[in-house]
Amino acid sequence: MVLADLGRKITSALRSLSHATIINEEVLNGMLKEICAALLEADVNIKLVKQLRENVRSVIDFDEMAGGLNKRRMIQSAVFKELVKLIDPGVKAWQPVKGKSNVIMFVGLQGSGKTTTCTKLAYYYQKKGWKTCLICADTFRAGAFDQLKQNATKARIPFYGSYTEIDPVMIAHEGVEKFRGENFEIIIVDTSGRHKQEDSLFEEMLQVSNAVSPDNVIFVMDATIGQACESQARAFKEKVDVASVIITKLDGHAKGGGALSAPVIFIGTGEHTDDFEPFKVQPFVSKLLGMGDIEGLIDK
Amino acid sequence: FVGQMKGGLRDIEPDSESEEEFEEEEEIPETTTNKARIDILRDAMEAKQQKRPFCITFCGVNGVGKSTNLAKICFWLIENGFRVLIAACDTFRAGAVEQLRTHTRKLNALHPPEQHSGQHMVQLYEKGYGKDAAGIAMEAINYARDCHIDIVLVDTAGRMQDNEPLMRALSKPDLVLFVGEALVGNEAVDQLMKFNQALADHSNMTNPRLIDGIILTKFDTIDDKVGAAISMTYTTGQPIVFVGTGQTYTDLRNLNARAVVNALLKA
Ligand SMILES: Nc1nc2c(ncn2[C@@H]2O[C@H](COP(=O)(O)OP(=O)(O)OP(=O)(O)O)[C@@H](O)[C@H]2O)c(=O)[nH]1
Ligand SMILES: Nc1nc2c(ncn2[C@@H]2O[C@H](COP(=O)(O)OP(=O)(O)OP(=O)(O)O)[C@@H](O)[C@H]2O)c(=O)[nH]1
Ligand SMILES: [Mg+2]
Ligand SMILES: [Mg+2]
Repeated sequence: MVLADLGRKITSALRSLSHATIINEEVLNGMLKEICAALLEADVNIKLVKQLRENVRSVIDFDEMAGGLNKRRMIQSAVFKELVKLIDPGVKAWQPVKGKSNVIMFVGLQGSGKTTTCTKLAYYYQKKGWKTCLICADTFRAGAFDQLKQNATKARIPFYGSYTEIDPVMIAHEGVEKFRGENFEIIIVDTSGRHKQEDSLFEEMLQVSNAVSPDNVIFVMDATIGQACESQARAFKEKVDVASVIITKLDGHAKGGGALSAPVIFIGTGEHTDDFEPFKVQPFVSKLLGMGDIEGLIDK
Repeated sequence: FVGQMKGGLRDIEPDSESEEEFEEEEEIPETTTNKARIDILRDAMEAKQQKRPFCITFCGVNGVGKSTNLAKICFWLIENGFRVLIAACDTFRAGAVEQLRTHTRKLNALHPPEQHSGQHMVQLYEKGYGKDAAGIAMEAINYARDCHIDIVLVDTAGRMQDNEPLMRALSKPDLVLFVGEALVGNEAVDQLMKFNQALADHSNMTNPRLIDGIILTKFDTIDDKVGAAISMTYTTGQPIVFVGTGQTYTDLRNLNARAVVNALLKA
């Protein structure tokens, strides 16, 4: 389901409140049923959907609610808050420190968009005036170094890699040492795609991580991924210290996806280097639901 | 290990469960059997006898494994004695051409010309980046015809369903394979339908050529969830011709209907 469809379905469920003459348990349940169905269709984990329903219901107590209260607004804002919670793990996102070498390591499943996103992130910081560089520690995928090299060259970002060295740990280590020595502030390390079923690949990821001691490990997640995502994401997090998530391919058909315990910091919205934006949960949900004003509603 | 796959690929085998569990096997549509795969070798042979190259195009969204599985299929075709031309028609993504060049080099190293009366078993047809993909595909086919190369494998960029000339050119090859990853779950069906629709829209024939078969990749990255496989074949009636089970040339299998049922029962 397209993300916009999910937004439309939830919005139409919320709107059913405005059409009802009185807001009672039955109306609320009907609305929640619609929302939950839409979320499930968007591949959101069933446990999370259940929790969302229970949380909204626990906020709204028809017996104790004073007559004058605007039940519609209360329900709407409860739904909004829960949707935000679904995406926001409530952990503060990592921020690089100016004037210091910040090493960022990218990890993720095969083809999720790591290499493309590395350049996007480097370009983003470079435009903001940070001294930025890229390292290709993927010696496995055919053409991986050429891909990073071409992207980096086009965006005028210094890069490091090798056509002959086959050990990614070595390249990562040498590259980081070199750029640290040159006082680069944002040092981004691209790695090969991998999956939890292959131990040797996960072990290699740990070794690269140990070799470069990253300040931040970013898990790159393809928005089109289905239910398999959750167990993969968890496995990555168990092996290395994943502290941020970037969701890619949000321009295509996108699923809501499951919740992760690391904050989403950026989203990829296309194949070009500037198809990239910082991710903010509340505006994202507002936009999803096409309700610009609801944010203000929460603050009241 | 070269030679081990000659003539055929291994099936994905059910683990060890007893036979009784498979009573409902018949309900799996015939489309998940290996019938279609055998046709590729036969049809390619037939084209060879007619002295024309047999052309297979790989399509699908970004990053699903089009180029990698193209290389695996290339290996399988070489093992079966065919000479192959890879057409680099992804002229957009950085490194796409070099990726195929690397595969071409590795595949020729596995099957050196010395073993094949001095002939290179696989060649790359490329025109760099930024060029018209459809034009390159056509040139590649002509080149293959002139040089008596048996099979042309056309690699394409991720979002080509919007590329009208390429979609129109695609209505010509012998086989269009849709590459979808097992990871995406039911979304794969949507993607496939989109491509089919694009093929139909851009064709001026009354009976347009649609996707002929599916390659389901990254089967090794999912635990027991084979929903995508089932829904894709059921919804579209198109066969899963190959299953990708890893990142090396030999990680290519048939989908065994029995294995699917097995996984479903376990799930
Ligand atoms: N539409 C779209 N495509 C994207 C986006 N991000 C990446 N891609 C495409 O997805 C494909 C895979 O991207 P890569 O950057 O090569 O992925 P990767 O994770 O480095 O892949 P491996 O190194 O093989 O594991 C490429 O065709 C990219 O152009 C995005 O935000 N939107
Ligand atoms: N585990 C696993 N990885 C695979 C499989 N098939 C492909 N891959 C990996 O998936 C990643 C993307 O593969 P590509 O062949 O570059 O995908 P693509 O569809 O050509 O990508 P774009 O051209 O960028 O759209 C690479 O890292 C491959 O090694 C498979 O069956 N299993
Ligand atoms: Mg990469
Ligand atoms: Mg490709």
